[in-house]
Amino acid sequence: MASRLTRIWPSLSRMRFSPVYGARFVSQSTPSSAAGATAVTDLQPSHAKESHGHAEVSPFEKNPEYHGFSTDATADAWNMRLAFFFGISIAIVLGGTFLHYLPDHGMRQWARREAEKQIKKREAGGLPIMSENYYDPSKIVLPSAGEE
Amino acid sequence: MLKVLIPTLMLFPTTWLAPKKWLWATTTSHSLIIALISLTWLNWTAETGWTLPNSYMAIDPLSAPLLVLACWLLPLMILASQNHTRTEPISRQRTFICLLISLQAFLILAFGATEILMFYVMFEATLVPTLIIITRWGNQAERLNAGTYFLFYTLAGSLPLLVALLALQNSTGSLSMIILNFNPPLALASWGDMMWWAACLIAFLVKMPLYGVHLWLPKAHVEAPIAGSMVLAAVLLKLGGYGMIRMSTILDPITKEAAYPFIVLALWGIIMTGSICLRQTDLKSLIAYSSVSHMGLVAGGILIQTPWGLTGALILMIAHGLVSSALFCLANTSYERTHSRTMALARGMQMLFPLTATWWFVANLANLALPPLPNLMGEVMIITTMFNWSPWTLILTGLGTLITAGYSLYMFLMTQRGPVPEHIKGLTPYHTREHLLITLHLLPVILLVLKPELIWGWFY
Repeated sequence: MASRLTRIWPSLSRMRFSPVYGARFVSQSTPSSAAGATAVTDLQPSHAKESHGHAEVSPFEKNPEYHGFSTDATADAWNMRLAFFFGISIAIVLGGTFLHYLPDHGMRQWARREAEKQIKKREAGGLPIMSENYYDPSKIVLPSAGEE
Repeated sequence: MLKVLIPTLMLFPTTWLAPKKWLWATTTSHSLIIALISLTWLNWTAETGWTLPNSYMAIDPLSAPLLVLACWLLPLMILASQNHTRTEPISRQRTFICLLISLQAFLILAFGATEILMFYVMFEATLVPTLIIITRWGNQAERLNAGTYFLFYTLAGSLPLLVALLALQNSTGSLSMIILNFNPPLALASWGDMMWWAACLIAFLVKMPLYGVHLWLPKAHVEAPIAGSMVLAAVLLKLGGYGMIRMSTILDPITKEAAYPFIVLALWGIIMTGSICLRQTDLKSLIAYSSVSHMGLVAGGILIQTPWGLTGALILMIAHGLVSSALFCLANTSYERTHSRTMALARGMQMLFPLTATWWFVANLANLALPPLPNLMGEVMIITTMFNWSPWTLILTGLGTLITAGYSLYMFLMTQRGPVPEHIKGLTPYHTREHLLITLHLLPVILLVLKPELIWGWFY
């Protein structure tokens, strides 16, 4: 336990006394100038930058309008545009429209609309919604009660 | 079928020939176009069930939503993986994308197959890219252990299925799903027949996963990179549900009695895994266990063998696929910033990232089945049909729903509310890509509210 503490203590102490201690990045509107971009990178703890090439370099340092696609600014912007175009404009909007106007399989929706119309018509006319003898009773052949 | 399968195969040359700078943009666009074309499968052209483009592959209302889901997931996986593969050499990035593409190709072949043996082969084939994704691209050393669990659980479950299928071929002379539907019910009475019945389902129950054989899932989810977690939760688990629905038409007469212990395990699993979620500290593990809990409900709905059960199971599978994948994406975005999956170490995120907190909120509500989202519709249908089977199940399903709400609240409070811990300084802002990614997960769920019959399956 103690040995583990001694191993992590240097990093802990560095973190406490690093100059940005207490500064907390909350949210960021798109920076309009390079000054905004450097302000973001300053918030990286200093020890993070020197950790054997595994440091996190903020991509916002190079490209303030970083969209998360690529470190190359042109590729980043175009990848964003393409993803939005094909994802939202094409797949969601056009795809959604296509699905909305799919043919009515088995005419189920038509049957439902027709039934609702019939109900309204019959209710307006004071008729029962469905006739009691929808099937003609004389045409139904029932087995006689006693027979087995 | 080929109109999607060939473009999917053409994604391989696209990946290898695209210039380095445009690799991700090209593959994202290409796969999104494939996803768009796949929507035409939802057009139910045949008067009867199956649409047969050729004799090896066919689409019916059960497989169409799952096929579309599989195609939709590929662009999302590509979008999600951009950040963690950024530092890799370009050839490795291409290899990674190829793995994801091969997974989609196998999934299309699995969901589209008309022969059960073809389905079986493709079901097994999906293991290979998934195993590579987990064990090569995972983050911790435990990924190797997770890979072993994943592979051996699934393989041990599915080898009996192969034997059972060969026995079926011997006795009926056909393994075509289309023909077997019209076979007279098999007379099954002996213990051997019971074993055959179990062998036909165990593979899918392990994949699902049923409570008791679920231990591979949290490990695999936690250790897999984001794309692996997404595809596991969204599509691979659904292979189990799909297989069960397909097999159950053949197994019919004895399922009524034989399914008892499995229904009990599935329902008990909802409570147990839900309770495990309530005491999780690991964010990804929590989401993984919540998947097990939801899949328990799906397994119950399928085993009960009623039209409501099967429809509810399909609805819940699709809705859960999109929502749990969204939750994994959100967990990953937080992991990429804080480098920790421990929830207690990244609290108060609502203060830092309000829009992302909104995504968390919506995804959580969808996961706990908020009306009118399809998650609720699926759950309610399954709960109703279970209640009709035996009113006592309401205690288990009702308690399960309550616990689901409980752990969803716990997850939201732990990650989003509360004070921001002292050690969090200067997190990278959320990227446009991540917001787009979550939107593309959640929008389809919301749009499905407007046209739910797309995922109602056979009994619409």
